[in-house]
Amino acid sequence: MLILHELTPLPWWLAGTAIGAITLLLLWVTNQRLGISTGFENLCALALRAPYFRRDEITRGRAWRLPFLGGLVLGGLLSAATSGGWRPFWDLGMFDASFGWGPAGKLAWMFVGGLFIGFGTRLAGGCTSGHGIFGISNLERASVESTLAFMAAGILTTNLVYRVWGAS
Amino acid sequence: MGAWVYLIFGTAFGWVLSRSGAADYDFIQRMFLFESFQLYGILGTAVAVTAPGLWLLKRAGRTATGKPLRVTPKPRHPGNVLGGVLFGIGWSITGMCPGPILVNLGEGKLYAVGALAGVLVGAGAFGVLYPRLSGALRLPKLELGTGDG
Repeated sequence: MLILHELTPLPWWLAGTAIGAITLLLLWVTNQRLGISTGFENLCALALRAPYFRRDEITRGRAWRLPFLGGLVLGGLLSAATSGGWRPFWDLGMFDASFGWGPAGKLAWMFVGGLFIGFGTRLAGGCTSGHGIFGISNLERASVESTLAFMAAGILTTNLVYRVWGAS
Repeated sequence: MGAWVYLIFGTAFGWVLSRSGAADYDFIQRMFLFESFQLYGILGTAVAVTAPGLWLLKRAGRTATGKPLRVTPKPRHPGNVLGGVLFGIGWSITGMCPGPILVNLGEGKLYAVGALAGVLVGAGAFGVLYPRLSGALRLPKLELGTGDG
């Protein structure tokens, strides 16, 4: 059951097939390699002038990455609006049950996690989409290694949070 | 290609992420706890569909409009693994990888604001520190101003 309106999720094979189809269509129709985290650099580039944010890959990608990121927000909004209505909320499932923190604590926790994601995906050169789906499908060694690393670190961290810290 | 095309692709992708569990805190934790197969099934199926399709597209070598297909492999360097470890920690803490941060924001999950702020600060810090990190971690040289921006 999803946190969002307690919906039953799509079956995994259907969701996976849809993601694969979108990845292939994006490449075939627009000649773009699926990847989300690089788009955050385009957002950073709106405010920061460091050479890293002025490199060609970023200036070239802006025209497609920014509307794509906007679409992700819109997709979430439509999903909520068509399944019980859109409303802002703080529900965080297992985290609420184990830790019971209020909004300020959740924002701080998420901010810390976000720092790891922002710095980590830029250092790794990709995330679940660019490395995990596209890179592995293209048999790229950098992507296989990076995906193994982030899966292992995620497994370790969640087990520490819920089986050690949350259980004490 | 017009911006609206990418907006539609992003919207479709975001909707699937929202309804599949990929943008759900509990499904991410239960994946990492080996309590749920859902996310492993999604990622596995996505690769099982993308890999043969990509092989065929590369063999054909053309996009839908007849342009030469462009697939640039990502550079390999020590940052792939080190950055992957940091990202994995963040994915576990927030229950969101980069796409789902934006999807959760759209769904109305207010805590996603914290994750987005953290990601932008983290990515910004990486960009600013790049000149100091790139030597030690053998990261690729920046390609600047070749004119086709």
